[in-house]
This record gives sequence, structure tokens and C-alpha cells, in this order.
Amino acid sequence: MAQHNLGTVVGFEFLRVVTKKRFWFAALAVPIALAAVFALVFISNSSTDQTAKAQKNAQFTFTYTDESGLVTTAVAATFGGTSAADGDQAVADVKNGTVDAYFAYPADPATQPVRVYGVDRGIFENGKYDAVARQILVAGAQQTIGSPALSAMAQGDVKITSETYKDGQVSGGLDTVIPPLLFLLIFYISIVMLGNQMLNSTLEEKENRVTEMILTTMNPTTLIVGKVISLFMVGAVQMITFALPVVIGYIFFRSNLNLPDVDLSHLVLEPQAMVVGFLLLLGGFLLFTGTLVAIGAMVPTVKEAGTYFAPLMIMIFVPFYVVSVIVSDPHAVIVQVFTYFPYTASVTAMLRNGLGSLTLAESGIVIVELFGLGFVALRLAVYLFRYGSIEYSKKLALRSVLRRKSRA
Amino acid sequence: MDESTAVGEPLVHIRNFRMDFGSQTVIRDLSFDVHAGETFGFLGSNGSGKTTTLRALLGIYQPTAGVLHIGGKVFEPRDGARLGYLPEERGLYKREPVLDVMVYFGRLKGLSRDAAAAWSRTYLERVSLADKATTRLDKLSGGQQQKIQLGVTIMNDPELLILDEPTQGFDPVNRRLLMDIIDEQKRAGATVIMVTHQMDEVERLCDRVVLLKDGTAEAYGTVEDVQDKYGGTVVRLLYAGPLPTSDLFDVISADGSSAELAPRAGTDETEILRELLGHGVAVRSFTPARTSLEEIFLRVYGNQNELVGV
Repeated sequence: MAQHNLGTVVGFEFLRVVTKKRFWFAALAVPIALAAVFALVFISNSSTDQTAKAQKNAQFTFTYTDESGLVTTAVAATFGGTSAADGDQAVADVKNGTVDAYFAYPADPATQPVRVYGVDRGIFENGKYDAVARQILVAGAQQTIGSPALSAMAQGDVKITSETYKDGQVSGGLDTVIPPLLFLLIFYISIVMLGNQMLNSTLEEKENRVTEMILTTMNPTTLIVGKVISLFMVGAVQMITFALPVVIGYIFFRSNLNLPDVDLSHLVLEPQAMVVGFLLLLGGFLLFTGTLVAIGAMVPTVKEAGTYFAPLMIMIFVPFYVVSVIVSDPHAVIVQVFTYFPYTASVTAMLRNGLGSLTLAESGIVIVELFGLGFVALRLAVYLFRYGSIEYSKKLALRSVLRRKSRA
Repeated sequence: MDESTAVGEPLVHIRNFRMDFGSQTVIRDLSFDVHAGETFGFLGSNGSGKTTTLRALLGIYQPTAGVLHIGGKVFEPRDGARLGYLPEERGLYKREPVLDVMVYFGRLKGLSRDAAAAWSRTYLERVSLADKATTRLDKLSGGQQQKIQLGVTIMNDPELLILDEPTQGFDPVNRRLLMDIIDEQKRAGATVIMVTHQMDEVERLCDRVVLLKDGTAEAYGTVEDVQDKYGGTVVRLLYAGPLPTSDLFDVISADGSSAELAPRAGTDETEILRELLGHGVAVRSFTPARTSLEEIFLRVYGNQNELVGV
């Protein structure tokens, strides 16, 4: 029956959130904004790309002078250019409209600018002069090199793979750091997005005076656990809703959106770091959830609950103020304090786990601490809800609730 | 409650219950039992500790001392337990549709989704709220919300029904509907504990009562026991002629054609009738009756309330 009721609570709590218009309004606001930005970038890039291509192949009349010796007559001719005998005359021809443009290639284009003079065709179309002048120079340089491979290398178009060693074994470098740090990202997103809901999850029972009905109908542990599970599910829906446009944009429109081409196959999933990261995520989530739900059971209103929310949020961001110390000196006292202080432990430990400076023993201690205190916080939340949430209109004094229980 | 009850122990068993809030003692020493199948009236003035007792009985408050058992043990909020509790502080999930809330509680009380939905629709039909099934609770009037709350309370045929001021917020028509529903539950075999100030309903529905005063049971027993203890009998008289003064009775009220007389201790109603006839009173109707609970309530708590008022 308890399991039946857990499912009932999870279903009720989950559906009553995700069937609300305001949930989807809030959840879709960011993806819609992202999609709109992507669409604008896409349209803009497509238009720019097409125009640039059109400009690159644009045919217009121009003259040029070349002191570098890189520009060949044949290449210039393909773009419609002819050599000019006198630069000043060529500029004058542009000014009076006899030719569309004049390019003056200097003796050393690597250090000296190529001067371009053109008839004004509007801000955007004027770009064709630069594009053609540049293309002629590039083609000339490639002909001088005489090898496409050397040309590519000259342009820095080379692939490099590096291999580093740690304790005699190949270490993955940045590729091993990224995967475990994803747990930290998930932790932040889930706490920031769900924190307020965690805090308010039991307040609704108090504010609606439904506590007594609940307390005499079901076990409060079932209610609290059900609420936590449904919060997790709501968070998953929100994260999927947030991530979907990014994933779609990356997979299908990467080149159009100028997104970096990240080769995910290079990422290295180190089993120990991944398992530790996952457990730290779960333990941290459990501790913060338990704490926030317990606070919610203590205070009478949403407004009052809010005053407790800010300090907890600060604690998960505080480790980033010493991130340089965490990276460079993980044994520093401040890093050790942050590693073991419960409300900074999850973030600090996840950072150190990703960077490879968290030992297995330290991992074990922090994980046990997070899970232990998380369960204590959840038990306290259940206890406060059961014996304290009947105080509908005033804040609970934790000491008096505990004293009442022990006396009984 | 379907589990075995301690041998010989009534369904509800309260012994030497004491409840302190800080330095204030709300319940001093309270003991009473409620037997399976009976309807029990839990009476007392405002602030006398009735709600506190119920909350302690249901495990919501931790008692300072004493034994409070339901079914032979301390009540634990067990999933699906067939207990119906209508608290004094009413409330449901206000932003949710009526049917969703009813089905939710029905499921928590052990019904399947379909059974809970079917039961809820039938109930809504009965209390004339069938068209409000998909309406949010906070869009209903206070009285309509009370009906929904009552529906949630009696779902899944509770074996023990605890109602804390059930008529609060109901107009006379709906009060009658509510009392009919409670009566049905009683006839279906439910044990009912009712906190109420409607003394006529207590007389009509309750088998036994306890009167709580100064943190202890001022009176406890059947309705008749309490009436005998505090009021005894009165004589309701329709008459003509002058009403004599007598050592046999006191005149509670008289208006020239009807009167209510209180027999003095040891006096038989027959002696009073003989006395009246002997004085030439034309007696048209002579009816011995018990003192009403309302009268007793006023006698027991009248002074207390006056003091409170001061």
C-alpha cells in the first residue's frame, strides 16, 4: 500500500505541475528565446554566407598595381581585372566612375595593408572589393607555393593530437576533465531550477490547511519522498525542454550557427571519476533537497521561506570564488574546509573530482557525509512536517518541537 | 483499524491524557472510551481542548502524558487506513480541480483510480455539485468547499469517522444534508466521534457523550445519563387559572397558559399533578420530559463563559 501511495503522490505532484500552463510558459521561455536567437543567427549567417560567396565571384571592372609580385595577370583577369600603370590615375578613374575599383598591392602584404579604392555601392555590397582583392592575393600566394598541402599548412589548417602521461599511463587531459564536470553542471541547473519548488513543496499543505487531512491519511515519509521524486522528474522535464533546442541546433544546424565542432568521441569516461561524480551529484541533491524541504516545513509562508533560500544558494556558488586555489593547490586549508563543509562539499568535491585532485579516500568521506546528512535532513523534514506543520500561522521553534517529541 | 484490537479495549481508548503547551495546561486529566459502532459526542466550550484531544489521538500532537489508543494502539498514519477525519481547520489543494483532488485522496485511501472517480462523481451528484467536477476548488463557495471536504472524509467507507465541528459553515439546508450523510455512515456501521455545538443533533444522533471542562471530563455517559445527572426531568404544562407556589417544584418559566416546572429533589411528577389539581388549576396537558442538552450546556458552561466574557 505504501508503494501504491508513493506512486499516487508522485503522479499527483508531477502532473499537477506539468499540466499547468505557467509551468510550460516558464519552461519554454528560455528554449523559445534560444530558438529565436538561433533562427536569427541562422538567417543572418545564411544571408551573409550567400552574399560573401556572391561577392567573391562578383564580376566588376577593376585595375590593380602589384609591388609584391604575387598577383598574376591570369588570376586577376579571371575576376575581370587589368593592370594599371599609374596608381594615382587608377584612383582618379575610380573617382570618376571609369572603373569600379582599384587595388594597390604593397611590396609586403604580410606587414603592409592592401589598399582598396572603389565606387560606393552601399555598405554591404562594398565588401565585395575586399573579398576579391583578398582572393586574388590568396590565389597568387598558393600558385607561388605550388602545393595545396603546403598552402593548407601555411593557413594553419592542420590537425594535432597530443598524448600526455600520468604515472606512466596515458592521461586524457582535457578530454577526461569534461565528462565528470558535467555532473556539476547538472547539479547547478537542478538546484537553481528546483530550489524554490523544494522550499515550497510542503508549504502548500500548510497554506491550504490540508496538513491534518494528509497526516491522518498517509505516512508523511511517503509524502515527502513522493514530493522529492516528483521534483526530480519535473527537473528532468525542464532540463530536456532546455537542452532540446541546443541539441537540435548543434546536430542539424551546427555549421549555419557557427557552433564549434566538438568531437565528442575524444572524450574519455574514466569509470572512477564518473561514478564518484554521479554519487556526489546524488548526495548533494539529497542534502539540499532535504534541507530545503525541512525549512519549508518550519516556516508558515512562501515569503518567509525565501529568506532562507539565498544563503543556501550562496553556499553552492562560494567555491567558485576560490576556484583558482582549487585548481592549483587542492591541499590548501580553504579548499579542505570547502571540501568537507556539507553545503560547499558537493560543488568543491565535484570540481576536484573533475580536475583529478580528489583522492578515493576523500571521495568516500564526502560521499558518505553527503548521503548521511542528506538522509538526516530528509528525516528531519518528515519529522518537522509531521509534528510541526500543524502550526499553520507561525514559524516553528525547532527546539520546542524536538523537546515535545522527547518528552512523549 | 482492521488489525486486532487489544483484548477488551474499546475502539478508542483515552486514559489520563494530559497536554501542556509550554507552561499552559490545556488538558489536565481526561479519560473516556468510544465503543465500536456508537456515535459519540465530544462536547465542550470553545477552547476547552476538544480539538487538541483529537489531534493527540490522531498522532498530530505528542501528548504530555497518558494513553491515547485507536484500535488498541497509538494511531499511526498508515497508508489506506479506513479513517475519516474532518478537521476543524479545513482545507484541500485549492488550485486543483475538484475531481482531481477527490480522486487523489480516494487513491490514498486505497481505492483504485476508477473506483475513486466513480465514487466522487456519485457524491458530487448527491450534493448538487456535479457540474463543478472540473472546477478549481478555490472557485467554489465556502459551503461548496465544505461539501467537498466532507466527501473526501467519508470516502472508502471509514470505520472510524472523526468530525470536528462538521456543521461549521453550512446553512440549515446543507446542515440537514450533512447530518443525513453522517446518519448514513452510522447506520452503515461506522463509529462516529463528533465535536459539535448543535445540541439538538447530539440528542438526535449520539449514543454517548463526554463534556469537557477545565481539562477533564465534567460528564460522561449516555445522553440520558448526562440529562439525569444535570437536569433530571422537567414538567411541560398547558393550563388555565393561577399557578400556585409549592414546595414540590420550581417554576422555570410560565406565561399564563404554559409553564415549565422543575420537580424538587425526591418529588414525583404525580405529586405535582395532584398538587396542581388540588389548587384548582385547569390542566390541559401535563408532560414530564428530560432537560435538553442545550440547557445543560448552558448550566455547565454558563458561568465559565460569563467569566471569559468579563
